[in-house]
Amino acid sequence: MYMPYLLKFIPVLMVFGGLLGVVPLLVLLERKLSAWIQHRDGPSRVGILGPDSPLEIFGIKSGSRRILGGFAQPLADAIKLITKEVFVPAGADRLLFALAPVFALLPPFVAFAVIPVGPDLIFGDTVIKLQVADLNVGILFVLAVASLSAYGLAFGGWASNNKFALLGGVRAMAQMISYEIGLGIVILAIVMQFDTVSLREMVFSQVSIGGKAINGWANGIMGWGMFHQPLAFILFTICAFAENNRLPFDLAECEAELVGGYHTEYNSMHFGMFFQGEYIAMLTMGALIATLFLGGWHYPFYASIAAWSSVVAALLGLASFGFKVFCFIFFSMWVRWTLPRFRWDQLMHIGWQIIVPLALANLLLTAFLNLNV
Amino acid sequence: MAGHGHDAHATDAHDSHGAAGHGHGHDEPVDNSRKQSFLEKLYPPEIVKGLGNTFRHMFNKTFTVDYDGTEPNNPKKHHTPRAGYRGEHYLKKDENGHVKCVACFMCAAACPAECIHIEAEATPADWKDRERYPKRFEIDLLRCIYCGMCEEACPVDAIALSSTYNVVSDTREEKIYDREHLLADGEKYGLSLSHHQYRPDGVPGALPAPKTHGH
Repeated sequence: MYMPYLLKFIPVLMVFGGLLGVVPLLVLLERKLSAWIQHRDGPSRVGILGPDSPLEIFGIKSGSRRILGGFAQPLADAIKLITKEVFVPAGADRLLFALAPVFALLPPFVAFAVIPVGPDLIFGDTVIKLQVADLNVGILFVLAVASLSAYGLAFGGWASNNKFALLGGVRAMAQMISYEIGLGIVILAIVMQFDTVSLREMVFSQVSIGGKAINGWANGIMGWGMFHQPLAFILFTICAFAENNRLPFDLAECEAELVGGYHTEYNSMHFGMFFQGEYIAMLTMGALIATLFLGGWHYPFYASIAAWSSVVAALLGLASFGFKVFCFIFFSMWVRWTLPRFRWDQLMHIGWQIIVPLALANLLLTAFLNLNV
Repeated sequence: MAGHGHDAHATDAHDSHGAAGHGHGHDEPVDNSRKQSFLEKLYPPEIVKGLGNTFRHMFNKTFTVDYDGTEPNNPKKHHTPRAGYRGEHYLKKDENGHVKCVACFMCAAACPAECIHIEAEATPADWKDRERYPKRFEIDLLRCIYCGMCEEACPVDAIALSSTYNVVSDTREEKIYDREHLLADGEKYGLSLSHHQYRPDGVPGALPAPKTHGH
């Protein structure tokens, strides 16, 4: 009797646990990648086994050869963030100060709920959808929830009682709102292209013809969104960078100009939540890009593997989805250490005077080309 | 996608070098009047070029030196500073095994931080070569500025600075080195991690590493 609810837990646990567990690895990846670009090693001391391993907390000495140096660094970061002193600056608005990290952390999590992370698991009659919530307003839900994260920046900037934080918060809010316009118009074109708003249907329309999933290279891969909407792909990626406050759009939190921007006054786990929220937002954006443009969980030869075993097909689908998200994250970190930061007026110019017209042109073109469909 | 509001920089370079008599003592002025090509003004092609450059750099050899000294027999985990690096102090002994220092107070006088404290005493009868030796010779390593003036001032080459930089202690008192500490190898007191960096007289280089001390 409780089976449907139990079955619901599987994707919930997968998504929630997976997201939380991947964030430390992302932190490490960012530090390592940025180090390799700069001709240095990233964190390489705090290894799993060896002289500085975290096992020494329990008194276990594990030899003198360092194994997987640096992989326990995120654990060290987490412990540091948890055990630091938490204080609220004088004159700060206490309620908003406490709420801001929540608004930065939760919306990306919630937005991830409607993203299909894998194909259906079919066991006879039961079908387990690898999607936490199969809403039929998928992409609108994502847009709505992602807009909430702008509140986190606003609250953080205002409630800190700090001029630099306020400036950073205002800039971040304006940036987010501007690029959400572009994002919305781009998504309109995509909705027009795929004839559906639900994300699950979008993946299916990319990877299937007439309801049957496609195999092979030619049809399967060419159905992916990025071949049908290349301009939308580029514009969406740019807006994704801006939504996440990642370089080259990170004026809100740039260390050189604003100390920490909207999260200057935050410490310990408050900052940890902002930090984590940024990485989860990156994951969510990567997942969105994978779903809308890269065919979601699809991979070549999906149909034949699914006909043979749905579990293997689902696992491979998960892996391919993860790989696509990883590609976006790698790209995001790669771009971060390549491009200089945009100036505030350049950022606004790009958002309003370049992306919005291009998105509108894309919308017109899509409408024109899809007239007969 | 260029966000730059300005396309070309006007330059007055040619005007400023027009005055007679300057000759060609300096380089040609930088010509900033070259207009950006269309592809350059569109930002994405430049982004792609930049990304390729960064990607290339990801595979370059890193400059990081792993120096922590936990593996004394691993040559990749040593870091010897440059010859002449001024680190932890040490006192030298002569052939008879006596401390070379004659307690002339030259190093204490030369020290800008006034971190050397010496008390002289008459040598025992069997020390033929000098009349005084330091009863108390203390250096406060925390006050020291590691300038090396003491090493330069010493007339008998008794005090020197090794290239050991990894000196760790838990309290301030541990960093006030007395005569015996300065005389002995750090190994005896178990403080410095990288002992292989003591510099023998006049010859920069590394001695073989001593036994580890429980790190």
